[in-house]
Amino acid sequence: MTAEGFRDKVEAADVPKMDPEYRDLLARVLRIQCDCEIGGPHLYVRNILPTAPTKVDQLIVARTAAEEADHYRKVARLAGEIGVDVAFILSRPNRERYVNAFRGEISTWEDFAVFGFLIDRVGRYQLEEFVGGTYAPLDRILPDIIVEEQGHIDYGQSKTAEIAARGGEAKERIQKVLDFWYARALDMFGSSASRRSERYRYWGIKRRTNAEARHEYMQEVRPLIEAMGLRVPDPSAGREFV
Amino acid sequence: MSQIPHSQALDEHLQEMVLALHAAVKGALPHINDDPALVDQAIRDCEEILDVVLEGDVASWIGTS
Repeated sequence: MTAEGFRDKVEAADVPKMDPEYRDLLARVLRIQCDCEIGGPHLYVRNILPTAPTKVDQLIVARTAAEEADHYRKVARLAGEIGVDVAFILSRPNRERYVNAFRGEISTWEDFAVFGFLIDRVGRYQLEEFVGGTYAPLDRILPDIIVEEQGHIDYGQSKTAEIAARGGEAKERIQKVLDFWYARALDMFGSSASRRSERYRYWGIKRRTNAEARHEYMQEVRPLIEAMGLRVPDPSAGREFV
Repeated sequence: MSQIPHSQALDEHLQEMVLALHAAVKGALPHINDDPALVDQAIRDCEEILDVVLEGDVASWIGTS
């Protein structure tokens, strides 16, 4: 341990010897990650897979859901190794999801596109928190998951840009959808005053504070939104956490 | 903190479903323009598999129900 906090590498076999706070935070982060991975398909598969604009889009929706289910599986396996049962998360009702963004339902193609563009991007930020972190098994599964998550982001971004480029009503509609999901995306980073966020960093489970990660995210998406000819939403509008 | 007893079986079952989804998508994408029936069947297969995944009836998957 250093003055800045714990920085050793921990394997599954070491977990029982770890401080209870480390075990609790690790279990919590694995549960939340599982919830977010499978929460996406629960939001969009039933409505969007049958109605996506083209057959290629339908197949890509199916592939995206398959990859998210596989991410759930990989994190669930790690959770199972340390005695954390996450099986119930697979069938949990959307209204009980940990994160607000996963508590509704996606029923339009525009929402699906922006969800990929903005919310899957937050998912990538969440995963990047664990890169080089103290829980080595989690660090090891990240590279493949992050590559697939980036694929979802790129697809969502290109579909969002495509809709915005049509102009007129289509552009107005996608702007409203963007406004809705932007607030949820920023909230996904959690409270800037979170004490738990500090403890995650102390134990080397996460790298950044909630506020730092949110700020970097806003810096990243701003030019992308502007390049689509859309307005960057007011970051304080419709927010639950700041 | 000991391993959850059913986690290995759940992992294997889910992996099979994920592989089946990937196989359906991979088999259909090259035939988008030349075999609409195959593509439609692949989409139906994906819908069915994903229905099962999202139902999440783990007890029946791993034979504990």
